[in-house]
Amino acid sequence: MVQSGAQITAANAAAIRLGLFTGMPVADARAIHPPLLVEPADPKGDEEALRRLALWCQRYSPLTRADPPDGICIDIAGCAHLFGGEAAMAEDLSVRLQGFGLTARIAIAPTIGAARAIAHRGPQQVTFVPDGQIREHIAPLPIDALRLNEATVTGLAKLGLSSIALLIGKPRTALALRFGAQVMHRLDQALGLENEVFNPVFPPPFFHSACRFAEPVTSLPFIEKAVHHLTGELAQTLFHAGKGVRRIRLALYRVDGWQEMLEIRLSRLSQDADHLARLLCERLDQIRDHAGFGFEAATLAAYGAEDFQMEQAAMMSGTVSRDHDLARLHDRLVNRFGERNVTRFLPRASYLPERAVRAMPVIETTGKNGRDAHPQDMQRQKSFTRPPLLLDPPEPVNVMVEMPDKPPARFEWRRISHRVRRADGPERIAPEWWVIGDPQRKTRDYYRVEDEAGRRFWLYRDGLYDRAGDDPRWFIHGVFA
Amino acid sequence: MTSQAILAELRRKIGEQEKLTGHAWPVAASGAAELDAVLPGGGLATGALHEFLPAAHGDFAAMLGFGLGALARIISCRPGHVVWVLPAWQQRAWGALYPAGLAPFGIDSRLFTCVRTPKTQNMLWALEEALANGAVAAVIGILPENDRGYDFTASRRLAMRAARHGVTAFIFSSQPQFAMATATETRWAIAAEPCRPKAYPGHAMAGLGPPRWRLQLVKSRKGNTGNWTVEWNHETLSFRLAAPLADRAPLRIAGHAARQRAAA
Repeated sequence: MVQSGAQITAANAAAIRLGLFTGMPVADARAIHPPLLVEPADPKGDEEALRRLALWCQRYSPLTRADPPDGICIDIAGCAHLFGGEAAMAEDLSVRLQGFGLTARIAIAPTIGAARAIAHRGPQQVTFVPDGQIREHIAPLPIDALRLNEATVTGLAKLGLSSIALLIGKPRTALALRFGAQVMHRLDQALGLENEVFNPVFPPPFFHSACRFAEPVTSLPFIEKAVHHLTGELAQTLFHAGKGVRRIRLALYRVDGWQEMLEIRLSRLSQDADHLARLLCERLDQIRDHAGFGFEAATLAAYGAEDFQMEQAAMMSGTVSRDHDLARLHDRLVNRFGERNVTRFLPRASYLPERAVRAMPVIETTGKNGRDAHPQDMQRQKSFTRPPLLLDPPEPVNVMVEMPDKPPARFEWRRISHRVRRADGPERIAPEWWVIGDPQRKTRDYYRVEDEAGRRFWLYRDGLYDRAGDDPRWFIHGVFA
Repeated sequence: MTSQAILAELRRKIGEQEKLTGHAWPVAASGAAELDAVLPGGGLATGALHEFLPAAHGDFAAMLGFGLGALARIISCRPGHVVWVLPAWQQRAWGALYPAGLAPFGIDSRLFTCVRTPKTQNMLWALEEALANGAVAAVIGILPENDRGYDFTASRRLAMRAARHGVTAFIFSSQPQFAMATATETRWAIAAEPCRPKAYPGHAMAGLGPPRWRLQLVKSRKGNTGNWTVEWNHETLSFRLAAPLADRAPLRIAGHAARQRAAA
């Protein structure tokens, strides 16, 4: 029977002792215990908080994931020894979570399914499952510890299969026919007979190192020292591996469970500790105000490592070190102004002037669009057919012109009238019929005009007078030197 | 000592104190002999700060044209990358830089890096960063219309950095007036000038010749000033003086042009 009205979604230990449970109507709960404290539920906020907690757990391992509604999954393969073993790690985690005011049930097991099942339904607060003993540990648990939907669980209960021990060893095909492949799939995943993909919040990094502070730190010089230390370690690892990275992320963990992140993208592979540290320290100002009660740990993760060509720093300056210098300048400018604001030009194979050149951020190494032209094409014309300044979008002008093909005798732009004394043209640019759905459908005739004062403009007529239905209009597209 | 010797010694001492650095950076000849004779060092100095102003508000493009010509000369003398810094919203006024239009000046557009900054202080920071870099040959900054961030101190910092590293700095101003003194090597006021017509037989209207500008050297370190009319020659990639008689513009209706200039 589905009841309408407010229902309890979560109750604390004291409330449970009084007999209140999840799903009970609030009116009934208030009747049982009048001075009950009721807060509105915030499922979105809870999800957000869980996600943030999963990010905070990155101080234990780079592979973490939030498991809604109330779980977190951490892959600690290879990380446990850094904390003094699995037991010490679990102890550290549960103490810190208690400090945040959260009660936690922790289970460490060889498979995701088993760990989750034991954490949710296991008898103890903290459980360790050694390799090979999964079956013994999950056997006594009820069926809904496996991640099955409601209907399946009720169906299995009706058949009398109420705990996992009863499920193991039953004929697989019969159960699959009755309930679908899900049941056996989940069981196999829990027992480790099938693989399960772990989707971490961040992809596995090439390099991950952490440093923990003896006490919470709020001042910038200490954080900068930690940054230098971490980037030094990263540079050494990269040097020994012969690789360079293009993306690094620094995460600083606050004592109250929040995390501040800085991500740096480089325009070129780099192995240089000084360069990386400098880029990170420039951005530290932004997060200094968010230190709260202090940072207690810092981690550095590096992504996208590729083989790095070591370059000889030339004694005389030559092109080799020039590219390197230029890349460093680009990195610093991008770090300060953002990726979209530092661009370079890439020619594209198009006749329309506004499409002939694309401003590409320096971070992107290759053009996304396959219509990039050879740079020499842009330089082919030595005469003055293109202006150095292009208006985007072209602005309409009023002209006085003798039809059909002559350049305008007079035009008005931005409320200033210009009388044309010299003109070149027309240069005809037809629309690109091979582009499907192109908004530019009319032929353009471009004219270079000079007015009486000596100022030169680039006008065009959109459409032809001769063609019926074209309704040509005049625009100014650029200004010449 | 004779008075000549004393004067020469004094000149040398003052010159040493005026110089911002011990280096003697190369000087790029502009191609027009009268112009080079007046400029200190015999041409446009690399490793220095140059300022350009439009003579009237509508002469921004003309100023840019002359500036690109000067840039082409500087790059031919000291090759490298060019960093172009402008405030983010400046593009509304006159349009964005279009690299295909650099071809007549002989500048390779692959050398350009464009940076958009929110404020003038950021622009000055970007200019200083780029000046300190070994791969850069020239940096260009465009001051917005109501700019108040560029002053003597900023110009001196730019000039000192440029002199230390041999990189040339260009400042383009959008306003015709520059009230303050700055530590610039040269300051130019540029106006557009009608170009020499190219006659097309059978057409009523003549065609355009090479672009032409009227320059005024407002301030120079050596102290000389002057007025010239120069043209850009896209074959030799250099400036040349427009000969007064042979290249003169046709008779203009003076009133209309003056009214246009005043209105712009």
